[in-house]
Amino acid sequence: MGLACAVSAQAEETIRIGIPVGLSGANSVVAPSVVQASELAVDQINAKGGVLGRRLELVIADDGSGAQGAQRAYDSLVFQQKVDAIVAMETSAARNAGLPIVNRGKVPLIYTSFYEGRSCSPWMHINAWVPEQQVAPIVDQFMDEMGAKKFFLIGSDYAFGRGMLEFTREYVESKGGTVVGEEYLPMDGSDWTAIISQMRSASPDALITSTAGGAPNVTLTKQLRATGVDIPYGNYAIDEGTAATMGTDAEGIYIAASYITGIDSAANNAFLEALNAKFGAKAETPSELSVPQYEGILAYAAAVEKAGSTDAEKVVEALGEVTVDGPRGSITMNKQRHSPLTMYLGRVAADGSVEVIKSFPDVDPGEQCPQLAG
Amino acid sequence: MHDISAAITTRFRVAATGCIIGLLVVAVAPWLLDTYLTNILIRTLFLATVVMTVDILWGSVGILTFGQSAFFGIGAYACGLIFTHYGFGPGWALAGLALGIGVGAVVAAATGWLAFFHGSLPLYASIITLALPIVLTQVIFSGGNFTGSSSGLSGFPTYYWDLRIWFWTAGTFLVLTTTAAWLLVRSDFGRVMVAIRENEERCAYLGIPVSRIKIMLMIASAVIASAAGFGYAAFSNVVAPELASFQLGTEFLIWTALGGRGTLLGPIFAALGIDTMSSWLSGTMPFLWKLLIGVVFVAVIVLLPRGFAPLVGGLFRRILPVRTAGAPARVLVPDTRSRLGQGADDQKPPLRIEHLSRRYGSLSVLTDVTMTGRASHLLGIIGPNGAGKTTLMRCISDGSERSGGKVEINGAEIGRGAPQDIVALGVGRSFQNTNLFDTLTVADCLLLARYRIDGARLFRSSVGIALPEPALDILRATGLDQRLADETGNLSHGMKRGLELAMVLATEPSVLLLDEPTAGLTRPERMVIGKVLGRLTRDYGLCIVLIEHDLDFVREISDRVVVLHQGSILMEGTVDEVVSSELVRSVYAGHHVEAAQ
Amino acid sequence: MAILVLDILTTAAILFAVSAGLLIILGVMKLINFAHGAFLTVGGYMAYLNGAAGLSPWLSIPLAAGVGFLGGLVIERVIVRPLYDRPLDAILATWGLGIVIGQLITLGFGRGVQFAPNPISGTTELFGVDYSAYRLAVAVIAVLLVVALSALLKLTRFGLNARAVIMNERLARGLGIDSTRVRALTFGLGAALACAAGALITPLISVDPNMGLPWLVNSFMLVMVAGVSFPSLLVASLILGGAQVVVSTYANPILGGMTIVVAAALVLRISPKGFSRA
Repeated sequence: MGLACAVSAQAEETIRIGIPVGLSGANSVVAPSVVQASELAVDQINAKGGVLGRRLELVIADDGSGAQGAQRAYDSLVFQQKVDAIVAMETSAARNAGLPIVNRGKVPLIYTSFYEGRSCSPWMHINAWVPEQQVAPIVDQFMDEMGAKKFFLIGSDYAFGRGMLEFTREYVESKGGTVVGEEYLPMDGSDWTAIISQMRSASPDALITSTAGGAPNVTLTKQLRATGVDIPYGNYAIDEGTAATMGTDAEGIYIAASYITGIDSAANNAFLEALNAKFGAKAETPSELSVPQYEGILAYAAAVEKAGSTDAEKVVEALGEVTVDGPRGSITMNKQRHSPLTMYLGRVAADGSVEVIKSFPDVDPGEQCPQLAG
Repeated sequence: MHDISAAITTRFRVAATGCIIGLLVVAVAPWLLDTYLTNILIRTLFLATVVMTVDILWGSVGILTFGQSAFFGIGAYACGLIFTHYGFGPGWALAGLALGIGVGAVVAAATGWLAFFHGSLPLYASIITLALPIVLTQVIFSGGNFTGSSSGLSGFPTYYWDLRIWFWTAGTFLVLTTTAAWLLVRSDFGRVMVAIRENEERCAYLGIPVSRIKIMLMIASAVIASAAGFGYAAFSNVVAPELASFQLGTEFLIWTALGGRGTLLGPIFAALGIDTMSSWLSGTMPFLWKLLIGVVFVAVIVLLPRGFAPLVGGLFRRILPVRTAGAPARVLVPDTRSRLGQGADDQKPPLRIEHLSRRYGSLSVLTDVTMTGRASHLLGIIGPNGAGKTTLMRCISDGSERSGGKVEINGAEIGRGAPQDIVALGVGRSFQNTNLFDTLTVADCLLLARYRIDGARLFRSSVGIALPEPALDILRATGLDQRLADETGNLSHGMKRGLELAMVLATEPSVLLLDEPTAGLTRPERMVIGKVLGRLTRDYGLCIVLIEHDLDFVREISDRVVVLHQGSILMEGTVDEVVSSELVRSVYAGHHVEAAQ
Repeated sequence: MAILVLDILTTAAILFAVSAGLLIILGVMKLINFAHGAFLTVGGYMAYLNGAAGLSPWLSIPLAAGVGFLGGLVIERVIVRPLYDRPLDAILATWGLGIVIGQLITLGFGRGVQFAPNPISGTTELFGVDYSAYRLAVAVIAVLLVVALSALLKLTRFGLNARAVIMNERLARGLGIDSTRVRALTFGLGAALACAAGALITPLISVDPNMGLPWLVNSFMLVMVAGVSFPSLLVASLILGGAQVVVSTYANPILGGMTIVVAAALVLRISPKGFSRA
């Protein structure tokens, strides 16, 4: 009996945050950096005395980067571990699989991965970008600064690939440009020969690609370079780490991101320092996927503070109001559960690093969840 | 007769008991489990039902399928698509279920048509089943907003019943389908399934429509898998491409292999155990867990091909000796409606071969063979090894074998027909080697041979096996009628020969092709066979074509003899004409010299 | 048009190189090696390690072949040989082996994408168009491979024995051919070819634990259609690979991805012996 009391007292004391993440499967490449970012956030908050005098505790669960694993992970987090909130950097399939469980278990959820947009739940907030925020910087640069009129779009055949390119097409056409080709390869496809040949015969002024991360993106870039393509090239799927390992093949690629390690702000510098101090040589390079995770936990802590309790409904209400000053700047998830973000346009240099060319403050996510407005 | 009905009711009693115990466990379980385990198990119960169908296909019939997940996915997507895009309610739910089952059945039929045809390799069928989920997943990915592409569909309206109700639904579905499957594999039809797994070719030559049966089973298991997928999606409120992926199909196979293929319950428990365990362990050691499963899987395939079920079963039996519901005793009855020998027609020769040839690439095995087999005649075919005797038999009994020429059975051309079609024309063929169906009993084998004529009961066993009189004669003469319940693997060589002949006769042929039916037999055993063959030609008017090395035996029973040499007919005549021929003697002598070198 | 022709030729060459190892194992052992995709992946990682060690990129192909040969011999002895009489179990066991290899690679190198240096980069002018130089090199290598493999089968003692086993194993054993040894060497050779093909295609794609998977089903279908001769595999690669390129170019690359599977299945349904009779 005594033991049981001690345990329940302990549970009363800590606030448990569930982190479903792809330790195995496609996301296992970025998962370590996401876990580190989460641990750093929790450490920093606990070092300042926690939230409402209670310590934060992480519960990490593998979602296998897919729907089935996510169902297990969410079942475990919601019904077995009974976490107070979930902060999730996951694939769209995993998020969609988790949502019904979150709805059933009534747990606040912060989704921290960029995605194709328009995923809505009364329990979910999102602090990463959607197509509306990502597309404009690159297309504007190509059309306004570099005089491109004819675009060719290449993507992997999946929700994000298609969602991004559909939005790009609309945006290009709304600005008076034309899309001379839009082609997709299956998600695990690696032979882009036919598409590249088609693109060459369409002779566009600029190319924008939105493939799945990792192999498809790398193979496409390699094969493009092997055929000598040198028109302006925007890539929605490349991150700094990949660009650095790809060497000269990546040079000249344009990217748009809400986070680049080179952002020169006090918050970012402090974040990078803290990360290195905590993990030393094992520190993973932070990215567009791990930094929102860090900020997502800060946002939850702030919301609990504001709500004065971990009560799910109150926290969800507060999440739309609190502002986090993190490495990416000041972020509030107040636009139909999504966040206006500062976007950076970057270009990969010869040494694989990303130079920031321009920044676009507070880009609006547009109409994402009108039914949840306010 | 009393014993027999007792055996059959025993089997139904076992099935009913198992079913009731299963239902009781399902009824009680939700009160003993916490929410988390209940949630996990509801999904696993649906998956276990699919694993059960994999076991039917692979364990019982021998179709190694990587693609059962495709049907699961079809059912799941039927639910997700209908509820997301069209409507929600009892009517829509039924429509969705019907759609899932219907599409699943059609896809299964198409896949079966592509994978199973006479002469298709089992490994080819496996490749097709691997391609199916890959193509289907691609279709889902290309579906854009309609299918939700990679993200799947989620949050569609569904029945938010109490967890217990879902558990009961899933559990009852599993228990009922498994009971039906258990009865199916133990029925007469189940014996046919095992026979197909053990020796598909021999089944075809007994006139069993192997490909059609495989396609039917594929459709039936697709229907169950689709229904399970529908339930899974309706419960979990999510569909995603991975539900149709070959990775999931592979997992089904792994669970089946580890649980013990062909045991039905083994794979189900393996599915429940491993899937639940992996919910715990995959979080703590995701990669190691998969590696471990992979290593155990390979080890089990190599070292323990029957999986863990027999081990567990053996242990169980040691602790708690249970009388198993054995195969029912059966009786042989004369077939009163037998048409054996009635196909004979003196006007048309039962077997006519014209200009038959068979080439393998540039190698000619048979050239321009023309011959006629008459009713009530026994035609012996002799010739040295490699003369093409067995190839000739093959060309008569399988339409896809010959390279040129024509074969007519009772006036009908065989065309490119598969063996079972040619059996239907009236050809019966026995084989040189005697490996029958080692794990089947004598009675099962006879039942099998009667499939073409009497069919097989789906969930029950019949008691009497009707056989034509000559088949009964052979069984009595060899003592096989006393050993109906023995497995054929345990029979003596002579008995196997006798059984083989009885089985061929049970198909009621008018043309009988026998390939060395007396090889390895003792003198008295030969006499028995010789006598039966004599009766078959005399009293039943059969046309028998016999390959034989033993010239004395040929002399005793043959009416005419054809000598094959290097793929063409060297000579045809009476036994004495042939034996006294210089030409034939030189051929045989020459051959012996060659062989000696 | 010139580009289309070059696309078809080089695609066929790649398909041929990727499937050759599968074909020889199928021919001699009547077995489809479901670990083929994993072997390709191993070849890719050999190229990566070779590059990381700073050796010439061309060395990666013989290196991968050597590792594949030795690995193949071990795998044949431990996993495949006990399953000679159970061909479907051999499929499953090699499939399981593929899973194990994939997990080992993931444990060792992580899920991330690795890079191998490219032996030839850039483009070459041919028939008036700039075309990827490495793809052209692969086409040349594939032609050399056909010649070398045919010579191996036609001119060497091993080839003679292997052909005897292909035609009639029982007879071959009767003639004193050690068919167990032939099978072991064949599996080694098949694994070597698969690994070498993995290293060969690496400069065109990227190295990751699943890189072999997308090739798997297409190469299965190609060898089923081709039967057991290398020239007919080349014909099958040209026709079906050509169909894939044409469908991808004029219809849609997603349909193109399914072309080989669907076309091959239909060919086999209509004419079960595939192209091997031609």
